[in-house]
Amino acid sequence: MLTELETTLLGVMMMVIMLGMGASMTPRDFLIAFRKPKGIAVGLLSQFAVMPFLGFLLAIGLGLSPALVVGLLLIACMPGGTTSNIFAYFSKGVLALSIMMTTVSTLAAVVMVPVLLSFYGGLAGVSGDYAIPPANVAQILVVLLVPTLLGMVLRKLNPNIGATVELIGSFVGVLVILFLVVTWVPRNYQLLLDTAPSIYLATIGIGLIGMLFGYWVARGLCQDTNRARTISLETGIQNGPLAVLVITLSFSAAMQQDVLLIPVLYSLFIVLTSTAITLWYRRSATREALARDAAKLGT
Amino acid sequence: MTQFATRPWLAAYGDEIGHDLPEAVYPSLAHLIAATTKAHGKRRAFTCVVPNGMNGSLSYAQVGAMSDAFASYLRHHCKLTPGARVAVQLPNGLAYPVAAFGAFKAGCVLVNTNPLYTPDEMIHQFRDSGAEVLVISDMFADKLAEVIPQTMIRHVVLAGVPEFFPRLPEAIVRGVQKVWTKSLPPVPTLNVPVLRIREALKIGRGLATVTDWDKLKSDDLALLQYTGGTTGVAKGAMLTHGNILANLEQVKVMGGRHMTGQDCVLTALPLYHIFAFTANLMTFFDLGARNILVPSPRPVQNIQRALENYPVTWITGVNTLFNGLMNEEWFAAYPPKTLKAAIAGGTALHEAVAARWQTITGTRVAEGYGLTETSPLVSFNPLDQAVRVGSIGVPVPGTDIALVDDQAEPVAPGAPGELIVKGPQVMRGYWNRPDETEKTLQNGWVFTGDVAVMDNDGFLRIVDRKKDMVLVSGFNVYPNEVEDCLSKLDAVLEAAVIGVPDAGTGEAVRAYVVQNPDVADVVTKEDVIAHCRKHLAAYKVPKSVMIRDELPKSPIGKILRKDLKAEARAEFAKGV
Repeated sequence: MLTELETTLLGVMMMVIMLGMGASMTPRDFLIAFRKPKGIAVGLLSQFAVMPFLGFLLAIGLGLSPALVVGLLLIACMPGGTTSNIFAYFSKGVLALSIMMTTVSTLAAVVMVPVLLSFYGGLAGVSGDYAIPPANVAQILVVLLVPTLLGMVLRKLNPNIGATVELIGSFVGVLVILFLVVTWVPRNYQLLLDTAPSIYLATIGIGLIGMLFGYWVARGLCQDTNRARTISLETGIQNGPLAVLVITLSFSAAMQQDVLLIPVLYSLFIVLTSTAITLWYRRSATREALARDAAKLGT
Repeated sequence: MTQFATRPWLAAYGDEIGHDLPEAVYPSLAHLIAATTKAHGKRRAFTCVVPNGMNGSLSYAQVGAMSDAFASYLRHHCKLTPGARVAVQLPNGLAYPVAAFGAFKAGCVLVNTNPLYTPDEMIHQFRDSGAEVLVISDMFADKLAEVIPQTMIRHVVLAGVPEFFPRLPEAIVRGVQKVWTKSLPPVPTLNVPVLRIREALKIGRGLATVTDWDKLKSDDLALLQYTGGTTGVAKGAMLTHGNILANLEQVKVMGGRHMTGQDCVLTALPLYHIFAFTANLMTFFDLGARNILVPSPRPVQNIQRALENYPVTWITGVNTLFNGLMNEEWFAAYPPKTLKAAIAGGTALHEAVAARWQTITGTRVAEGYGLTETSPLVSFNPLDQAVRVGSIGVPVPGTDIALVDDQAEPVAPGAPGELIVKGPQVMRGYWNRPDETEKTLQNGWVFTGDVAVMDNDGFLRIVDRKKDMVLVSGFNVYPNEVEDCLSKLDAVLEAAVIGVPDAGTGEAVRAYVVQNPDVADVVTKEDVIAHCRKHLAAYKVPKSVMIRDELPKSPIGKILRKDLKAEARAEFAKGV
């Protein structure tokens, strides 16, 4: 559970992150990306078709309680997290594609998240107090679009401020996760020990399986390995802090605790899993580049 | 030489372009800089844009004050005497004009040096020129330990890419260079003082202002511009203040009403190269216009923010840069709306590239021709005339040309001959190389080594470099012509053609082509040859085709045929 101050702080930080995300591109970049929409379409497909479905399967398969189901579904339906851009960079992926996917999925989230959440929520039998009102989610996302668009305009009007804001945004992205670790983990130490292995499995699994499917969906749709790796990371890395924010703004203090568990655990573990996957992808990318060089010399 | 005593090309100037070069306004570049910085005061002279869009600007007044401070530093702190050489080895950035203009105001000679030079090349150039002060990019400071002890350099000044940016962006760019790209090596300990340029300016501001630049005359030396990097050992062309002033006037006359103080020129070509030095830096500065400096145009994506965020009206470039830009979706989809025209030089502009440029941007790309030895502009296409495809235009005002054979005798009208040039922009000779000077400069005529033909109305076309000609069974094949044909294949991104030894024909044509990544068709040797058969006489068709991922290029993007030739020589020596 987070105090009111912490929730406010989280809200402010999310604003800064979104401002930074918007500032990572200009309106022109956006228009250009939509001239060749295939990569983005593939990304959206894996983000909003594959992930929520995986979340749903995991929730059902592991027989989680309604509170946990809501948390897991919410994470699965979230748009891409801004930290994915950093991982894309370090894995030698296609940075521009990563930035674009994060932004587009965040914009699309205004419609997609409420729709998916109520669809899969209904399917999983989530009802009553645990159902997050779709309007609520949409409202939060719309509010967050304001700093995103502001960031884009800022980047266009004053690139010096824009690029600085982008940098601050990515720092705050890391900071939020640290903030969660520092404020939430010590207070819930016992809870973490009592948490069933199936919950850990769901938390870690959703990210990893998402990356696996993301990769193969992209490959299946004729994206090259480099783009597929970028889409893979983008699919697996969800905007965890956003999920935390949605929960704290949607549930009473008493109910927050259980629902928060998976999103918070996810935010912590995804950093570790993404780092491992990034190292692996980086090696694959290097190996492929070397193989290409060797092929050139051979001819 | 009376071959074209009547200057038949003058008719092509039209009504807009004056036939004679106006009297020089200033005796020296220092005079120009002082007058211009005073006249335009608060207007922005230079804006440097890094790939993420971060930027810094200097106004005319700032450039004036900072170059004064740098001149004081050079003369009073480093104790340079007028005529001493100052080497500047910087990528495009705000520090470049401060250092270069400071050197002119100190009455010193600027030695432009390529930042990508190896220590050996640096040592050669610094020793040959006798440079006493070096202004170098902090990205290459690691080379100093090896270089400095072997030269006469007494003071080293370091400047960064984000130099003179606002503090926060400067700190961020530097932080990224240090932590992220790891492109800032530690500065080695040297037995000469090393300062950052801000510190040098601070020292300079505390010293008396240098004023004796007003004694500079037009025939005083302004630049040692090293050349021959693509042909042999680099030698310094001695360009005077008068040479550069005449040439920028020639550029302005040819640009006519299309060049004004309201213009904004994209400077993606390096300023240490004579093309951008004269055409961008000096000409547009003289106009009171704005230079948008791009530190590194490779990858070409680095130019995106500069074109997106500023109302660019002119672009100078080489064939490969224009080609590269048009292969970028952000450029092809949203070409700059404010653009008036582009100037191509440095190397032959391919017809296919010029035509595509016109289609995409709706503006002209006017080809000019020049060489280091002529400051550089010799000829240019008048902007108000219909496009003359494949022509380097007509000689600029005040310039005479002739086309001669191997005995330096004029060739018959319409026949190809070596282009020779005479005019106020022609260098004084090569620094300390009387033998080389004698070979290139005779009675004021520069022998360019380029074979050209002239149309009836005075428009010139370069056929090729004299020494790049391929002799196939006694027929001359000009690589440019074959390359032009190759570049019309969609699947070919760029191409180079050289001659290789051949038992049957003496020499044979060999083509090197690069696959265009944006085209699905895979380029094959068979397709290339079939395409050439369709468009070229049989003896010009490449006998062998090599498919490459990239071609060797000079710093401004000229494809280096000499490197391919060296490679081929090694290959044939091995008896492959």
